[in-house]
Amino acid sequence: MVARRKKASTSTRKPAFDPKEKILCIFGESPLVEEYAVHCVARSFTVHARINSTEKDAVSLLPKGAKAVRKGSPDSSLALELTNTSAESKRKNLMELDKTLPLQTLILTSSITITVAEQTTWVQHPDRIVGIAALPSLLDGEMIEFALPPHPENSATMRAMEFASWLGKEAAFVQDSIGMVLPRIICMLANEACFAIAEGVATSADIDTAMKYGTNYPSGPVEWTDKIGSRQVFAVMRALADSFGEDRYRVAPLLQRSALLNVVPGR
Amino acid sequence: MIKTIGIVGAGTMGAGIAQAATLARLDVLLYDASPEVLKSVSGRLKGDFRRFVEKGRISNTEATEALARIEIAKSISSLANADFVIEAAVEDLTIKREIFKKLDAIVPTHAILATNTSSLSVSSIASFTKTPESIIGMHFFNPPVLMKLVEVVKGKETSIETIRTTVDLATQMKKTPVVCKDTPGFIVNRVARPFYGEALRLLGEGVASVEEIDRIVKKSGGFRMGPFELMDLIGIDINYAVTKSVYEQFFQEPRFRPHPIQRQMVEGGTLGRKTKKGFYEYP
Repeated sequence: MVARRKKASTSTRKPAFDPKEKILCIFGESPLVEEYAVHCVARSFTVHARINSTEKDAVSLLPKGAKAVRKGSPDSSLALELTNTSAESKRKNLMELDKTLPLQTLILTSSITITVAEQTTWVQHPDRIVGIAALPSLLDGEMIEFALPPHPENSATMRAMEFASWLGKEAAFVQDSIGMVLPRIICMLANEACFAIAEGVATSADIDTAMKYGTNYPSGPVEWTDKIGSRQVFAVMRALADSFGEDRYRVAPLLQRSALLNVVPGR
Repeated sequence: MIKTIGIVGAGTMGAGIAQAATLARLDVLLYDASPEVLKSVSGRLKGDFRRFVEKGRISNTEATEALARIEIAKSISSLANADFVIEAAVEDLTIKREIFKKLDAIVPTHAILATNTSSLSVSSIASFTKTPESIIGMHFFNPPVLMKLVEVVKGKETSIETIRTTVDLATQMKKTPVVCKDTPGFIVNRVARPFYGEALRLLGEGVASVEEIDRIVKKSGGFRMGPFELMDLIGIDINYAVTKSVYEQFFQEPRFRPHPIQRQMVEGGTLGRKTKKGFYEYP
């Protein structure tokens, strides 16, 4: 329980290679794909992106420099699967990436709503899969949270760390669990704010103000929901509810409604 | 505009509210039922103001002027002419009932009586008075001089006029008031529960360590402090008490259920910074 304080190390070294030669293949849902594409393009990587077919309009949102593709290139140095809201699309993407990409290519897959363990049962080469806490706006932070697969391969872990350093971020590895660390905490704060708004405790704006001035949070829970998206927060909450089967994780009806209508709760 | 406020209770919160009020040029009548507390409060206020000057937060003149605006009241009846009284006594409904009964009998009918309670129901406190429309919650955060937020808690009978005057007073005190309904934990103590509760569950489930969770929350989420650092600062006993209180008031709502780690640490006397050992060690 007791841990001594120690300073976290920073890793902002520049990659000793030409990033243009590295193809990063990003499959998944909007706005995660665009967001990751923006960060990777900004670091001069060659980005091949595919947004799930149900969200065709989002292709136009890809940043300049990212190429919209239909298939993952066998030359990809690394692939990302970023779908949180549809297990079906996720499974399809992951199986395809696993089939197309050479064995040594690491696949980072968002593992907030479905565990890495479950996802490894979908593919033929489970050892090259590492989970990532991919939620909209989290890349603005200084750290990327990864989840370990059931049989972590040293090289996979190393390459996940390498990816974080490519983007100028630190890496943290946590055990494979629905919601991981930060998404679980933030989505639970957002869910509680939704219960409070629905009960008329205060307005959504006042709840944000209260949490920022009363506890020094960087954003209020409704602001977080706005940045992350009601659908994404709802997907995380529903996954937590399914995973734990506890009343503690039941989804606030206002959050569910906001996700359906794709609006910010209480605004 | 309110010029003079009465404050009942000269402990950490009462004295802190007095400082915030006088720095905003309000006159304060400060009363405490304990003669010992009343005796020591002047020295404490002087010391606090001196520290504010040393830290460059206020000038020497401001400190002297603010201190001169605080009058120590030897009896609660000295508050008879106050237009606005803030009660900041201990969180005990029986004690608060006596205070509000007394205040209700002596203050003018238009006077507003506010409670700084963080865990009791404003409506229940109001029920002890003949003027429930003038009773309101005014929840300051510790330390009141620095923390901008004031939760203005409307009880069942609180009038719009009372809410308006209280919001104005908070603004006059250079605070940011938010109006909320009288429900357990109000806004902050309720909505913040998952920050600690989920962190404790993540730790209990072995998803990540104390240090890792704090690092992720700060570095990835941009929070100034991680949940464990914050619990150590607040006091694990205080945090546990707030959690238990919200949990009980919501009739064992599982979202607010405390975690066994909290109880274990409280019973083991590792309460955070104040005992030099909590989730971290403080040599």
